[in-house]
Amino acid sequence: MADTITIEVFRYRPEDGAEPVYDTFDVPLRQEWRVLDALNHVKDEVDGSLTFRWSCRMGVCGSCGMMVNGVPKLTCSAFLRDFAPGPIRIDPLDGFPVERDLVTVLDDFMGKLSAVTPWMVHKDERSVEQGEYRQSPAELAQFKQYSMCINCTLCYAACPVYTHEDDFLGPAVLALAQRYNLDSRDDGNEQRYPLIWSDSGIWDCTFVGECSVVCPKHVDPSAAIQQAKVQSAQSFFASFLPFGKR
Amino acid sequence: MANPLPRRHSNLWWLKRRPYFIFFLREWSSLFIAGYAVLLLILTSKVLDGEAAYNSYVNDVLESPLLIGFHVVALLFAVLHTVTWFGAVPKGLALRRGEDPVPPSLIIGGSYAAWAVVTIVVAAVFLLD
Amino acid sequence: MRYSSEPIFWVLFSAGGVVTAFLLPVLIVMTGFVLPADEVTFTHLDDVFGNVLVRLVIFATVSLSFMHWANRFRHTLNDMGMAKSLFPLVSVLSYIAAGAGTVWAAVVVLN
Repeated sequence: MADTITIEVFRYRPEDGAEPVYDTFDVPLRQEWRVLDALNHVKDEVDGSLTFRWSCRMGVCGSCGMMVNGVPKLTCSAFLRDFAPGPIRIDPLDGFPVERDLVTVLDDFMGKLSAVTPWMVHKDERSVEQGEYRQSPAELAQFKQYSMCINCTLCYAACPVYTHEDDFLGPAVLALAQRYNLDSRDDGNEQRYPLIWSDSGIWDCTFVGECSVVCPKHVDPSAAIQQAKVQSAQSFFASFLPFGKR
Repeated sequence: MANPLPRRHSNLWWLKRRPYFIFFLREWSSLFIAGYAVLLLILTSKVLDGEAAYNSYVNDVLESPLLIGFHVVALLFAVLHTVTWFGAVPKGLALRRGEDPVPPSLIIGGSYAAWAVVTIVVAAVFLLD
Repeated sequence: MRYSSEPIFWVLFSAGGVVTAFLLPVLIVMTGFVLPADEVTFTHLDDVFGNVLVRLVIFATVSLSFMHWANRFRHTLNDMGMAKSLFPLVSVLSYIAAGAGTVWAAVVVLN
């Protein structure tokens, strides 16, 4: 194995008002180094102004997502050796405005996330004395997969619909809405449906399916969206029935 | 300092990566499917018009290189549609056996088995006198 | 609640997707390659296409193929960057075409 590998890093310096450029660095190619280690090496040893987000460096916090050779990845989980002999091109996640270098602006995502009520809603709030909201393993299995989301936004960077539909809620937000809708302890479905069943919710999705492929937590947002389409269609046609409402 | 670079987007995104290009082909398969549907309808009306109409349609149109070529392309797109459609079925169909989800491979396998049966039946209708 | 109208088109699209996934490959082989090779006699074809069930299958396959196309066509143009303002017009035109094709299919099959 060669001693070094070249990384080409997207640089955007907002104070310059200049076009973004790629800076090239040769970094040690170590067997156990991830792309994030290479970036930290550059920041510590070569150019302290290089800006990127990271925290846990173990695939849990969801903050180090970037485009690695055009594919959204958690850089803490992408080994340099898998890209040898390089070069490796590192961009900020597609589909988001860029704050600086590899840091994206998440305001749009955060706004859409909070809009779908991604928390438990109870019709009758239980007091502490009344005890916990109980749930069987079968009920947990209904939504557990969708609860694994770490908000890393890789699925947004993989979604071509999100990048051109400004209003589209996007994969993770719809998967998390589904996570609460399928939770037996939650009573908030009715307040989520109008938004997630709207044209900028599930119906904007044309099922490219890459959100599920790039998800590091196997959340499978595209499945969540297709299942929500089935539910929405059932409810739509049931609304024409003369008696009873779903 | 707030002076973010606006998000970047290209209308040629579907050329950027293989999965996107396959998606692109998958969506446009519908055009060839609809085109074939038109031909099937014409064929039906020719058969119903009688032997003379049918024979001249087969000889003049169906046997032309252009139409044979179209059917080759349409067949490739139709198979792409079938494969991608079967692959997508388990996403929308969240079947469960008790607590466990029915494995996607079982749903996909079932689809292919049913496809084989349908194919044999249709072929038999045409070929068995 | 106010519903999006998309479920109607999505259900037609999905029905078309299922029917064509199962039937199109074998139908294309039969009518695109086997018939031009003169492998089937007209008398037999006349029997086949005279059958009510066969005509029903042809009608369903053809009309749902059109509905399937209409939905993918408008959404794919949208995905490929067509101006947003054109989407309603393209949608209407797609379904007018698919609807006209369905009427034509009914006329042929009821012949």
